[in-house]
Amino acid sequence: MLTLLRDSTTEPRPDIQLEALTLAVAADLPVLLWGEPGIGKTAALTQLAAALDLPLTTVIASVHEPSDFSGLPVVGDDPAEQGVPMAPPDWAVRLVRAGRGLLFLDELSTAPPAVQAALLRLVLERRIGALQLPPGVRIVAAANPRSSAADGWELSPPLANRFVHLQWTHDHEVVVRGLGGTWPLATLPQLAAEKLPGAVDFARRAVCGLLAVRPGLVHRLPSNETRRGGPWPSPRSWEMTLFLIAFATAAGSSREVLSLLVRGTVGDGPGLELLASLDRMDLPDPETLLADPGSAVLPERGDLRQAVLDGVVDAVRKRPEKARWDAAWALLVRALETGAPDLVVVPATTLATLRREDWDVPATIEQLAGVVTLSRRADQVAARSAAVAAKAGR
Amino acid sequence: MPTAEDAPGALDMDKLFAARLHAARARPYLATALFALHTVESRRVPTMAVDRHWRCYVSPVFVDRTPVEELAGVWVHEVSHLLRDHHGRGDRVARERGLTGPGERLRMNIAADCEINDDAFGDGLVRPEGAVEPGSLGLPAGELMEDYLRQFRLGPHTESAAWLDCGSGADGMERGWELGPDGAHGLSAQERDAVRFRVAQGITGRQEDTPKGWKRWAEEAFHPPQPWRELLGAAVRAATSGSGAGQDYSYGRPSRRSAGLPGVVLPSLRRRPSRVSVVIDTSGSVSDAELGSALLEVAAIARAVGGRRDLVTVLPCDAAARIVYPLCRGEGIPLMGGGGTDLRAGFARALRTGARPDVIVVLTDGQTRWPQARPACRTVVGLFPRQHAGRSWDEGDPDYVPDSPPDWARVVTIG
Repeated sequence: MLTLLRDSTTEPRPDIQLEALTLAVAADLPVLLWGEPGIGKTAALTQLAAALDLPLTTVIASVHEPSDFSGLPVVGDDPAEQGVPMAPPDWAVRLVRAGRGLLFLDELSTAPPAVQAALLRLVLERRIGALQLPPGVRIVAAANPRSSAADGWELSPPLANRFVHLQWTHDHEVVVRGLGGTWPLATLPQLAAEKLPGAVDFARRAVCGLLAVRPGLVHRLPSNETRRGGPWPSPRSWEMTLFLIAFATAAGSSREVLSLLVRGTVGDGPGLELLASLDRMDLPDPETLLADPGSAVLPERGDLRQAVLDGVVDAVRKRPEKARWDAAWALLVRALETGAPDLVVVPATTLATLRREDWDVPATIEQLAGVVTLSRRADQVAARSAAVAAKAGR
Repeated sequence: MPTAEDAPGALDMDKLFAARLHAARARPYLATALFALHTVESRRVPTMAVDRHWRCYVSPVFVDRTPVEELAGVWVHEVSHLLRDHHGRGDRVARERGLTGPGERLRMNIAADCEINDDAFGDGLVRPEGAVEPGSLGLPAGELMEDYLRQFRLGPHTESAAWLDCGSGADGMERGWELGPDGAHGLSAQERDAVRFRVAQGITGRQEDTPKGWKRWAEEAFHPPQPWRELLGAAVRAATSGSGAGQDYSYGRPSRRSAGLPGVVLPSLRRRPSRVSVVIDTSGSVSDAELGSALLEVAAIARAVGGRRDLVTVLPCDAAARIVYPLCRGEGIPLMGGGGTDLRAGFARALRTGARPDVIVVLTDGQTRWPQARPACRTVVGLFPRQHAGRSWDEGDPDYVPDSPPDWARVVTIG
């Protein structure tokens, strides 16, 4: 009967949580999974260990004492002469002997402060007592959120800053289908060797580009009571972000996965700013567009398209030349032919003001007549709305 | 570009986009979101509707018969549903309160409309005909969808709203005419967050002319406020469990396991429950209801962290602190007082009492003076927010503005 009940099959299914976890583990960064008890964190870890072919060592942090992580002092014959060695626990010895493995520190947030302090050294310096963890060992921790950890301590900011925080939630469909006998089999990301140098370059440009213009984001301790124990930006977590972007790019992961990782490393606000600047990095370069407006491909999404057109007009403003001005008009006509007309109004108005006296108006501008009508129509609407408001106010 | 003249009943794109342009000019901070919407012509939508993937379904007939002014208002209305995450919140409410069926989803749509419409129109935007407002249901303005949802039922007064259908973007229920997650031109979860983040950033960047509802949204879009009970609990818990207070490890007394391991020094877990002093501001400016709920909360937390009731003391304090009560008499503590507050007296009294407390929890509205130096114990402040910040409360000194709580205290805003 038990054998029958445990008999289940698997099916491939994309799982962005697991993909993010795998990437962080591959980048050799300590991961902290946040999730309600019983949500399947341990099951995910078991699956990950099997997929990576690493032996799994689970340590429940909350039932251990600090000395289990910092080592037990063993008094020898002549402590003054030989010192007191710190003896590591058996699981650590086995882990070091194996040379590789996945160390899973469960229930981290319910561990008392002294245990957390001892864990700090384990996570940061990878040392347990006198033992040094070999490079083949990866560390993943799990914690219950404050709301469900009835007697939990919260994570201290220094410890929180060393982890990639991933929110672990369950997918209703997956659970129902799994209990019915079919669990998902996640396809693990693979790094493409030929993409590595490009990915590192991209990651460096992304992080440095943002921090150069937003110096305030480099280091910001959580001041707010709500954000305690979570991810926050510091030079250390930005370096982790850089690693993660490089790994996600080389593995060809989606933006969803990258979003989980980045927001889990530097926090929501700075993470979203980074992602927004990545979106802008993906946009076509205004100079390329101006060089060859005929074959320009503009983004489909309206807000991105307007950002590109604004960028083009801005480029013309910076270096006003007749040829560039003409090319910009050609681009606006192209934008009008392939998308919504209201996006073109503001760039067209600005571009018109950049005209020099000796520049002739290009013939293509005729095709923008519709835009002018549209703009005029919106002006009339504004005037009418104002009149209505004035009447209502009287 | 098809126009009305091309074919009878075709979607008048020019009218629709002129309306969007006007909407973006009237509400510049929403422009990114408005332009990010992908329009889909649909004859099965009653008016205009959005799905959770940021597609906007438009009925050609509706565009035809609606003035451009009103269309602009509808654009802003629809994009507001998406920015305020009404579909996600609707799903959450449905799960929490066990609401099922199309009737409940219609109520969610109406409640969401109330949340948007109370400050969406005016100031350059005309209110579309038939827009539901909290006033028309007899409800107060300025509340959230979750609150409105508790306050009305479907009935004769909502019948006029029964045709209203803003799509799954407004209430989370998928419609037959929607393209679904696999359809073209949808925004992914990350792209949706990016757009919402840009709009929120734009609003916090330009404070002067944005309505209050949008400012509140921008502040909370990515940091939803946590229930103060959890925060206060976490703060008190962290304070009572820090080193020097309460249970932690020490080498002070040998562990019970030592006998089995000669030569090894084992630590032992020794429990010393923390003493907690609750200083309560009983000045006239704090209401009894606020105090009662906060006091109950602190007592419950103190019990949860293992504090014995006799270790928790309560200290009512206005301009002076006179009597210290043990919590076992918690139900009968007279919270007398009134007039001004000077919490310095409360701190001094708490620290002078018999055994020194490990943690002082202060419940106050902040209209007080604070001790100059950090006391020799951890401090948690439960702060009742007050609107009239900056106004003097001291009759003898009209220029006096109360200090904010000192930075050595952990502050949790209550309510």
